[in-house]
Amino acid sequence: MDISLVPETIFHLGSFPFTNSLLMTLVTSAIIIGISFFVRRNTKLIPRGFQNLFEAIIEYFFELVHSVTQDKKETRQFFPLVMTIFIFIIISNWMGLLPGAGTVGIHEVEHGKTILLPFIRSGSADLNTTLALSLIAVFAANFMGISAIGLVRYGKKFLINPFKKPYFIGTFVGILELISEVAKIISFSFRLFGNVFAGEVLLIVMLNLVPYFVPLPFLFLEVFVGFVQALVFAMLTLVFLKMAVTAHDH
Amino acid sequence: MELLNSLGINVKLLIAQVINFLILLFVLYKFAYGPVLRMLDERTKKIEKGMKDAEASGKKLEEIAAKEKGILDEAKKEAKEIMKRSEDAAMKQAEEIVITAKDQTQRMVEAAQKQIEQEKNKILAEAKAEIANLVMVATEKIIDEKLDANKDSELIKKAIK
Repeated sequence: MDISLVPETIFHLGSFPFTNSLLMTLVTSAIIIGISFFVRRNTKLIPRGFQNLFEAIIEYFFELVHSVTQDKKETRQFFPLVMTIFIFIIISNWMGLLPGAGTVGIHEVEHGKTILLPFIRSGSADLNTTLALSLIAVFAANFMGISAIGLVRYGKKFLINPFKKPYFIGTFVGILELISEVAKIISFSFRLFGNVFAGEVLLIVMLNLVPYFVPLPFLFLEVFVGFVQALVFAMLTLVFLKMAVTAHDH
Repeated sequence: MELLNSLGINVKLLIAQVINFLILLFVLYKFAYGPVLRMLDERTKKIEKGMKDAEASGKKLEEIAAKEKGILDEAKKEAKEIMKRSEDAAMKQAEEIVITAKDQTQRMVEAAQKQIEQEKNKILAEAKAEIANLVMVATEKIIDEKLDANKDSELIKKAIK
C-alpha cells in the first residue's frame, strides 16, 4: 500500500510527465464530450427518454444560475462555465471510485524498492487539476468583472485612495480584497483536492483492512462527497462571478 | 518551489490541465449548451404560443355562444310577437264574420216575415172573394132566385161584416 500525495507518472513524453491523473482527466473529458455528442445527435423538440434527463439537469442548473444572477444576459454568460465545472468535477470525482482505483497499475522499481503506479487516480486528487480549475474560475471572475464594469471601476475595488472618505481603512480593505483573490485560488484548489484525495486514501485503506462489505458505506459516502464538492466548486464560482460583475459603489 | 514540488505541482501538467479544461468548455459551449438552451427556448416559446392560442379560441367560442344565445332570444321574441299578432287578427276576423252572419240572418228573417205578411194578405183577400162567391152561389141556390147582381153582393157584404 503506497499512498502518494503526488500523482504517479506512468511514462514520459519527452520531458513531459504523463501522470495517471492526467490520463483520467483526458478520459473524463472524452466521456463528457462523447455523451454531449450522443445527446446532441438525438435532440428533438419533443423530448424522449434520455433527452429528458439531460434537459432536466441543464434546465435545473440554468434556473439555479439565473436565481443567483437575476439577469438573463449574465446567466447566459456564466452558465457554460459553471455547468462545465460541475460536470467535469463530478465525473472526475466519481472516476476515482471505479474499481481498480489505486490498486490496478504497473509495478516499477524506484530507489531500490518496488512501488505500484496505479492507472486510475481521480483528476481531482491531483493538485495540478484543481489548481488549474481554480485559476480558470478566479481569472474568469476577474475577466468578467473588467468586461462588465470597465477596468478603472473594477480596479477601484482593490486600489482605494487613502486620502478619501474611509481613508486608510478603505485602502486596507482593498489590499485585503487583493489577497482574497489569491486566497480564493488556494481554498478552491485545496478544498477539492483534500476532499477527493482523502476519500481515495480512505477507500484504499479500508480496502486493505477489510476487503469485503466494510468499504461499501465509505464508497457511498464518497459518491455523495464527490457530488457535494462539485456543487460547492460550481456554486462558489458562480457567486464569485456574480460578485465580480456587480459594481462596488460606495 | 520546494513546497510546490512536494505537493506535486508541475507547471507543464498545470498548463496541460488548463488547456484540457478550456477545450472541454469550448466543445460543450459550442455543441451542447447552445443548441440545448436554444431548443429549450424554442419549446418554451412554442408552448406559450399554444397556450395563448387555446385561450384566444376559448374566448372566441364564448363570444360565439353569447351571440348565439342573443340571436335565439331575439328569434323567440319575434316568434311570440308574430303568434300574438296572428291570434289577434284571427280573433278580429272571427268577430267580423259573426257580426256579418248575424246581420244577414236578421235581414233574411225580416224579408221572410214581409213575404209571409204579403202572402197572408193575398190569401185573405182571395179567401174573402172566394167566400163571397160561395155565399152568393149558396144563397142563390137557397133562394133560387137571382136578385139583382148588385143588390146581391151588397147583401153579402153586409152579412159578412
